[in-house]
Amino acid sequence: MTAWDITGVGAVANLGNRADEVFDALCAGRDGRSPLQAFHADKYRVKHAYEILDRREPGRDEPLRASRWLTNVVAQALADASLSEDLSAVPVLVGTTMREQRSVELWWRDGAPFELADLDFAGVLRRRFGAVISYTFANACSASLYALGLASDLIELGVSDTVVVAGTDSITESAFGTMDRVQTETPQELRPFDVSHRGMLMGEGAAAVVLQRSGTGLARARARLRGVGMNCDAHHATAPHPEGIGAAVRAAHDRAGVQPEEIDLVMLHGSGTPRNDQTEARVMTEVFRGVKTSPLMTAIKSMTGHTLGGSGLLSLIMAVAALDRGVVPPVRGLVEPIEEAAGLRLVRDRCAVERMTTAQVNAFGFGGINAVAILEVA
Amino acid sequence: VTVVRDDIVVSGVALAVPGLAAAGELLGDPRRGDGFDPTSALAGREMRNKDRASRLALWVAEAALRDSGLLGESGTVRGADRTSVVVSSNLGNIDGVCQFTDTIARETSAGLSPLGLPQTSNNVIAGWIAIRHGLRGPNLTVCNGPASGLDAIYWARNLILMGRADAAVVVGVEPAAETVTKLLRAPSGDRVACVVLEQGAAAAARPFVRRRAILKHCGRHANAWAAAAAAACQWAAADDGVGLWLMDASTSSLGQSDSVRELPRWLDIEAHLGPCSGALGVLQCVAGVAYLDQGGPGSVLATIEEPGRGTAATLLLSSATPARMAEPLSRAKSTQ
Repeated sequence: MTAWDITGVGAVANLGNRADEVFDALCAGRDGRSPLQAFHADKYRVKHAYEILDRREPGRDEPLRASRWLTNVVAQALADASLSEDLSAVPVLVGTTMREQRSVELWWRDGAPFELADLDFAGVLRRRFGAVISYTFANACSASLYALGLASDLIELGVSDTVVVAGTDSITESAFGTMDRVQTETPQELRPFDVSHRGMLMGEGAAAVVLQRSGTGLARARARLRGVGMNCDAHHATAPHPEGIGAAVRAAHDRAGVQPEEIDLVMLHGSGTPRNDQTEARVMTEVFRGVKTSPLMTAIKSMTGHTLGGSGLLSLIMAVAALDRGVVPPVRGLVEPIEEAAGLRLVRDRCAVERMTTAQVNAFGFGGINAVAILEVA
Repeated sequence: VTVVRDDIVVSGVALAVPGLAAAGELLGDPRRGDGFDPTSALAGREMRNKDRASRLALWVAEAALRDSGLLGESGTVRGADRTSVVVSSNLGNIDGVCQFTDTIARETSAGLSPLGLPQTSNNVIAGWIAIRHGLRGPNLTVCNGPASGLDAIYWARNLILMGRADAAVVVGVEPAAETVTKLLRAPSGDRVACVVLEQGAAAAARPFVRRRAILKHCGRHANAWAAAAAAACQWAAADDGVGLWLMDASTSSLGQSDSVRELPRWLDIEAHLGPCSGALGVLQCVAGVAYLDQGGPGSVLATIEEPGRGTAATLLLSSATPARMAEPLSRAKSTQ
């Protein structure tokens, strides 16, 4: 069976500046919300977000933050994999929802300096790491898991033994504002799968992994990627669809060569919109119907907010830590699960402690694009 | 996981550039009629409530699918479940993004239209194409700078080689907009092209459909010369030489090189159309197929160099019908 080694990880989010910091904060059930900083709160109904509070001048937004986090997490992942910061011979695949659109907004509205060449991430990767070959994929909120699947393909095609995969996003005013306009209710926190869920709240963050052909890395593999399934609902521009999501899960299991009963942990997409939570819970119930022991399930967006393009990879990195430590963080704020999730083994109140070998990671995006990854302990 | 060994072929092409009626016009053919007119082409029920880039892409994708023979009379696409959409666009949703921030500043978020939600991310374009034709394969949006169009073809090919899809609709699209003009620092225009890729055997098995061109090579290299050298390994195998080199002479090192005069027929599409950004690579592919359709000798090489990033993307196309040798390099002349 083909598998790829994950030899390095890196993450930043509102909860911490390293992957292990984020995981510890998740295990502690920490709330990562803060009052809205990026924009003037009086323009919106929603008054909170899960932002990274790293602006030089609090309350005044600045360009190229997503690029800054990207270089941070890539450097972390390379160090973790015992690789140098010279990426002249290593392809870098970046998944994102917004690219540097926040910088475009600041350029358009406030005259902030911005060059078209910095809309994608090739320039910053070239400047920092000497990266020659990089790709930016704007694949909404499944972008970084799409990038992971494409990276495994590159290794299979013999293009490279090592590929860096990343995701990054900062909050944009256009998306925050349109979500604010569209959501029927006004969520002030993200509470996936709880009857009190009111919708999605945006977060910020970045994540990166080093993916290597099995056995070719310098560092011990932290986990092994078994396969990524990816598809499109071809159904609705923004709403999820159970058939498409079910097909993506089956494609992932097929590619990985696993059966549902082998899955011990599911990192749910869990965006906290009633539509997502109901659909995802129904599909998971269906997929795992009849297995002897249902997998544990958690949803980290309850603490990180929706970190958009990088969220799938952030979930995956948290799954790597969970498999490694045998600990699964709880879904924060989950008191009374929605009816559709009644049969799911959602982790609540405190961490679950269990021996696990195989995890599934879900990521679904606008445009009906779904990506599901399967990984196992190294 | 097994890698597909079959040729990847281009089975359908289309373009949507105001004033142009056919891909051959990119090669200097006389213009026929008024050509593409966005005002009439982008009207109709299917086009309602969508951003300009998506409407342009919907138009061109349908035309290319029809050209490939995959679009049935009833509007359904053969093999839709295993067909991918890959879009290249850098500027597709930028006008919407800027306008939404203006609206918020004036009227708060309450002034926004809910229908604008999909276009806050540039994957909106690929999403609409998938929805229109029921295309359920992997759906990918490549936003990777000037050579993004060639990258999109590369990734579409990889999806087919890795068995993730049997066919792929590849669209390069950049819309005309005031904000885009400001960001480009050059006049923007609608620049749109589409190619349909599939496995050679699948295209050959379909009645009445020519395998228009074989995708011999594509990928990224250190610069255009390295890209050409890598492609050369492939055309040496094809043994028919390069008959047409599509390049971005205005921005690449090739334009300043004496060796350019030694090349076979060469063409810089942006010299005629202005900046094409993410659409350029797909426009080059469409022009290359037109050249081969006309029986042009040799293979077609396309390169887009990004000197600032130290990289170039390339594409090598050969005719699917028996090869005709290109003229030796020393005797060939530019058609410029």
